[in-house]
Amino acid sequence: MKTISIKLFTAIVMLLLFTGGSYLFYKFFDDSKEVTERLLEENIQVNILNIKYFLDKNLQKNSINQLKAYLDNIVNSNTVINDIHIIDNQRKLLYATDRDTLLEHEGVHCSAISKIISSDIFEQQCYTFSIKLFDGLKPYYYSSIVYLDKDYLDSLLKDKIIKYLGLFISYTIIFILLLWFTIRKFIIAPLEELRQFAYYSEKTPRQFLIQELESIRYSLELTFRRLKKEQEELFNLSTKDPLSGLYNRLSLIEKINWLISRSQRSHAKFALLFLDLDNFKNINDSRGHEFGDKVLQHISKVLLSSVRDNDIVSRIGGDEFVIVLPDITDNKSILEVIKRIQHSLSMPVVFDNYKYHITCSIGITIYPKDGKNVTELLKNADIAMYKSKELGKNNFHFFTETLNDEIQEKMNIQRLMINALEEGNFKLFYQPKVDIQTNQIVACEALIRLIDPIHGLISPDKFIHIAEENNFIIPLGNWIIEEAAKQLKLWENTPLQDIKLSINVSGVQFKNKNLFKIIENAIKNIDPSKLDIELTESVLMSDFDAKLKVIHQFKTLGLSLSLDDFGTGYSSLSYLKQIPFDTLKIDKSFIDDLENKQDQSFVNMIVTIADELGLEVVAEGVENREQLEYLKKMKCEQYQGYYCSKPLPVQEFETLFRVHNSIITEI
Amino acid sequence: MKKILLFALISLLFLSSCTQKKKEELRIATNSWIGYAPLFYAKEKGYLDALNIKLITNVSLAEAVDIYSVGKADLVTTTLHEYHMLKNSGHAIVPIILLDRSNGGDMILSNRTIDELVNAKQIYAYLEIDSINAEILEDFLQHYKIDQNKIKYINKDQAQIEDLKPQKDKNILIVTYVPYNLSLEKKGFKEIASTKDMETIVVIDSLCSNQATIDIYQRRLQELKQIIDRSIHEIEANKQLSYEITKGYLGNISYDEYVNSFKLIEWINNPSKKLLKRIKPMDYDEKQLIK
Repeated sequence: MKTISIKLFTAIVMLLLFTGGSYLFYKFFDDSKEVTERLLEENIQVNILNIKYFLDKNLQKNSINQLKAYLDNIVNSNTVINDIHIIDNQRKLLYATDRDTLLEHEGVHCSAISKIISSDIFEQQCYTFSIKLFDGLKPYYYSSIVYLDKDYLDSLLKDKIIKYLGLFISYTIIFILLLWFTIRKFIIAPLEELRQFAYYSEKTPRQFLIQELESIRYSLELTFRRLKKEQEELFNLSTKDPLSGLYNRLSLIEKINWLISRSQRSHAKFALLFLDLDNFKNINDSRGHEFGDKVLQHISKVLLSSVRDNDIVSRIGGDEFVIVLPDITDNKSILEVIKRIQHSLSMPVVFDNYKYHITCSIGITIYPKDGKNVTELLKNADIAMYKSKELGKNNFHFFTETLNDEIQEKMNIQRLMINALEEGNFKLFYQPKVDIQTNQIVACEALIRLIDPIHGLISPDKFIHIAEENNFIIPLGNWIIEEAAKQLKLWENTPLQDIKLSINVSGVQFKNKNLFKIIENAIKNIDPSKLDIELTESVLMSDFDAKLKVIHQFKTLGLSLSLDDFGTGYSSLSYLKQIPFDTLKIDKSFIDDLENKQDQSFVNMIVTIADELGLEVVAEGVENREQLEYLKKMKCEQYQGYYCSKPLPVQEFETLFRVHNSIITEI
Repeated sequence: MKKILLFALISLLFLSSCTQKKKEELRIATNSWIGYAPLFYAKEKGYLDALNIKLITNVSLAEAVDIYSVGKADLVTTTLHEYHMLKNSGHAIVPIILLDRSNGGDMILSNRTIDELVNAKQIYAYLEIDSINAEILEDFLQHYKIDQNKIKYINKDQAQIEDLKPQKDKNILIVTYVPYNLSLEKKGFKEIASTKDMETIVVIDSLCSNQATIDIYQRRLQELKQIIDRSIHEIEANKQLSYEITKGYLGNISYDEYVNSFKLIEWINNPSKKLLKRIKPMDYDEKQLIK
């Protein structure tokens, strides 16, 4: 639909009003004119009829002088009639009110009295009628002309026209002006103000007189106020962390980007502190997330109070905070902030009658040295933070290139491990365990190897600890269990059918609640006594009770258990008491220095203890005959080491087994 | 926008329609004549009001004609005299309804006998010269061969004539008609001639109008004719009632005079063929008459 402005609309309305008004005025004027005309007409009719009647009854031949006074009086007392002429049948003027006039008025056309109805009274100048006189019964006729006062008639009509037209025009102009200014002031201007307000939502308009407009203004004001509030809330939601009130990740990135832009121009440096609370998970796990949230709010306040006004504090997730320190000149100012934070956090905090000591680990990057963009700065700070945690928590660490290299290497190994598991690049190598008395290979230990197509053989030393860090050891451990079980199955009904296979289980694998099920499934088709689980002392360091339960379940399956690397850790005898181990494996470090008297005593002592407890003993890392001879003297049951063989791929191991045991048999 | 303009236009049309005039009034100029009693009766009974027709009653037909001439009346009652006078002065006058024929209603009174008048040296004749009176007097003088030179004509209207008294030393002739004759006869004037026994003159009264009015108000005039017919019928049916209704228009005559007056006229609202044939040469055209 085509739209028009309110001004145009008003103009059209006024035009319509003017047209309507003009029509009404015209009708009124026309009616007035008609009434005036009728009154005049009647006045003239009556006057002429009276004159005619008078003359009909009284005019006789040669009697005009007797009538003059009466006729003069009629003319003089009448405003409409100007003159009366009486003309005889010889066309002789017998009487004229104006005595100077001896003839009929020139150029004046008169209508018969009978035409008075059909004539325009304002156009007529005179009327004529005949006067019937009788000579006996024979009639003859005089005529009479009654002249109207044209000036008076004209003035009568003109006066009305001027008066009413003037009145109409002035009224119309005043009305239109008043209407225009009223509409402009009370409708157009407020509407324009409302338009401006609706468009820019600035400067709330004043109150309006018109109720509907005022209602719109009020509604708009309320709506804009609400929108502004919602806008602020949305802004806070989008830029602030709802729990702590600190800037969120998005806002932090925006601010860092701004700082980077500014720093590129001013060459100023800024520092980024990546802060992670130590052991916060324990708080959440033990006291619940609601409590954890209170702690986070407290930390937020502490952080805010520990930094300068222009420093940026944000919470980017969980217990991770990032603090940006703009315009730093040296590390001293960074260290001062860190010191303040650590000091504030070191104050014990009491929540719900529980006292907590909260510490944090901090990684530090400096722009532009440690990163050219937000991603690099945050990533490197995160790396530094983890390094800090590695260093024992409640610590801080600046990001360095070496650190970066370590991380890159770690990440590379992680990637290789994931690919290797998918593509079958992990292999189990088998190192024999030899019975010292019979010199027969009676068992073996399955050892994981990563053979990357590009990098070749990668030592377990390089990837096991990484796998344990990121829990990759769980799927990898599962694979080892299944692979070992498969191998035992393959060895059934072969010369290797009696061989016992050991696999190592990491402490991290115990996090997997399905560990028992996985082992149970893996061994359901083999003789479980052929599978031995090797555990190190470090496995038992944490969550001992939970792990002990699982270990006992292993025993119920018929598996045997070996305590690996015995003597290197706490070597707590309580482990031996509580865990139903079958075998103790003496760590290689004792075997390496077996010429040493002290180490001999330690080995002898371990063998004695094992003997007393009814455990088998396996010496690890035997590399020469002297070591073997000495172990034989100590009545150690088995050894494992390069003296017999390094860990071998399965086919080579099988060959070794056949060759070694047959030779021994032959001997 | 178009709708608004259309609404404005309709509003203007509506406003203009509000100013339409009501049914226009028709006026009949007449005078006090027994033959016009149906008009007086219809007026008083309200029959004319229903047609928005107004009666303007004058002393003489001359005044009625003047009223008609200046346009203050749309219809006028006339005798042959007024009809011809208007026609000759240029009026498009047309007789549309015949009312009555004077059958003794117009008469000549005198204080002398006809023989005395024939022999008299001077006679004063009172009449409305500009009326049918003149034709009646002329017919009378010719009939009795009275020399017009010894007549002194005195032009008076009937209201003035009604006041005349018989004078012993003056030979007086009065041309008058019902009901003015009644008071004159009471004063001693005697009827010496009337339209009843005047064979050469036919005095008929009719309602006339101009052609334009006839064309415009044809339907109303037809209804008027029906009202006149109805009024004549009701007058004849109940003279007492009609007397009570119309006596004010007839100079407050007595009931007997009222009844006798009707004997002097003949209703010709539905004229005979014979009459129509007789009056045709007098410019009374049957085709113009409303049936």
